[in-house]
Amino acid sequence: MEYYFQTRGLCVGYQGKPLIKDIEIGLCKGEIMTLVGPNGAGKSTLLKSIAGQLKLLGGAVFLDGENTGRMSGRELSKKMAVVFTEKMQTELMTCEDVVATGRYPYTGYFGILSGEDRALVGEAMELVHVSGIKHQDFGKVSDGQRQRVMLARAICQKPEMIVMDEPVSFLDIRHKLEFLSVLLALREKKGLTVIMSLHELELAKIVSDKILCLKGEYVEGYGPPEEIFSGDFIKRLFGLSEENFQGNEKLLGYLRQVGKGE
Amino acid sequence: MKNSREHRCILAYILLVFGVFCLFILNACIGSVRIPLPEIAGALTGRGSGGTSARILWDIRLPRAAAGLILGGALSLSGYLLQTFFNNPIAGPFVLGISSGAKMVVALVMVFLMRWQLFLGREVRVTSAFMILAAFLGAMLSMGFVLMMSRKVSHMSMLVVSGVMIGYICSAVTELVVTFASDAQIVNLHNWSRGSFSGMTWENVQVMAMVTVPAFAVVFLLSKPLLAYRLGEGYARNMGVNLKALRVSLVVLSSILSACVVAFAGPISFVGIATPHLVKKLLGTAEPLRMIPACFLGGSAFCLLSDLLARTLLAPTELSISTVTAIFGAPVVLWIMSERRKGRAA
Repeated sequence: MEYYFQTRGLCVGYQGKPLIKDIEIGLCKGEIMTLVGPNGAGKSTLLKSIAGQLKLLGGAVFLDGENTGRMSGRELSKKMAVVFTEKMQTELMTCEDVVATGRYPYTGYFGILSGEDRALVGEAMELVHVSGIKHQDFGKVSDGQRQRVMLARAICQKPEMIVMDEPVSFLDIRHKLEFLSVLLALREKKGLTVIMSLHELELAKIVSDKILCLKGEYVEGYGPPEEIFSGDFIKRLFGLSEENFQGNEKLLGYLRQVGKGE
Repeated sequence: MKNSREHRCILAYILLVFGVFCLFILNACIGSVRIPLPEIAGALTGRGSGGTSARILWDIRLPRAAAGLILGGALSLSGYLLQTFFNNPIAGPFVLGISSGAKMVVALVMVFLMRWQLFLGREVRVTSAFMILAAFLGAMLSMGFVLMMSRKVSHMSMLVVSGVMIGYICSAVTELVVTFASDAQIVNLHNWSRGSFSGMTWENVQVMAMVTVPAFAVVFLLSKPLLAYRLGEGYARNMGVNLKALRVSLVVLSSILSACVVAFAGPISFVGIATPHLVKKLLGTAEPLRMIPACFLGGSAFCLLSDLLARTLLAPTELSISTVTAIFGAPVVLWIMSERRKGRAA
């Protein structure tokens, strides 16, 4: 089977110390994979390594059959966008300015935006419903809006894949659902492949095609959600009970509705 | 909205250029000897009588004003780079001890050379380029310390505290060295170590322009990666920026710029911290492409004004330039801090 995104014998960690070893993932185009696991299990480390932010300690990451380690920063940035929870200096930048930085890999030497770039920025903001706040100061909008602005930024980078570290952690439940529904819509429309980490297991279960469980030195579990969430696997991973995962049908219905509605 | 922002930018640039121009002219006109405008125009176009006022103008005031223009811009740009690099609004060459480090090495070199001169019994000419080199060495030394500290403590205020401490140590060493210098040179060294634009020659101006102009050009060419860098390392790397190269160039460029200032005018406080913020507010944007030239102009205006006041306020006594820049600059720093607090609370 031909995977769009694949890792082979991937080993990740900080400063030469391996944290997780032998990671073998394969994703087809348009699939959503979610990383779950307790705090400190290495979710961010893995995401950063996949995105080329951390040096790999072993193995390789393949994107569309190409080793990402051999791609230039610019080449990679046209295929993969990221949404991280990082401190930024966005003084005097409007939401639109922040989104526009997504066009970086495509603009010329001085980074001046063309009309086409501007149109794409507008389109991306429309897609995640933040056009209304485009002239507002990025530092002064709510967490929910900020996350969506960062998603818009990633979208107008025109990637084939987005890597996100806990994109909905600071959002209330309504905004969590809205955010994920935008992702589902994007997957539908553009065949976007997504790798992200979520703490919300209920949401992970319904939006993901694959789940990767991290705990300890090796991958604890990997497979479609039905498989991962059956039995007491998650219970063992976190020490949780079955009841946490009931009532999902309603939630899924709502999520789909939100996705179509807006 | 987009348009009004652009208009504001253009307006700000007009204001800055006009301000620098006017201050430059004022610096040429005003002084212990009043030279009326027509005579200045005459001297500048070469139709002048070649009298005393023309000499004062050509040999003293114009090179001094030119030095203020160039070094002010260099300082402000250096501050902007440091603020971006450390992601810290109160970073600047003076606060981080970089100016003091440069001052220390220059003082050491000067005193050592004087001793050597006495020993050899003949004069050793110290060229401007050599002084810049010494200052650059000192700047890099301090920068190295600050970088080392920044790796250990990531907190913003701790970084500034360690910079200030390094500054104190370097100043103490400089004082020590000056104490042991021979009498004749003490006056010279003492004046310089307090910071002053006096005694500039055209040769000095030439050398500082040769350093500052290329440095400015390189900074301007880096404006796109600088924009990405402001979003944080993760995003910058994802945008394809070569972070290592960018970081090294930021460190080297900011050190060169502040070293150049120290070599000629001594340490000057607050211009590096305050100007980028004032210019940012004036422009209404922090986009590096627009900020970098405006920052340079803003620094020039700041220094020209400060030098004018330093020369005229208590004439014929000349104040040290830092006395004036501190009076204007320190409140700006306080204002920045309170603004940030407000922004966080909102």
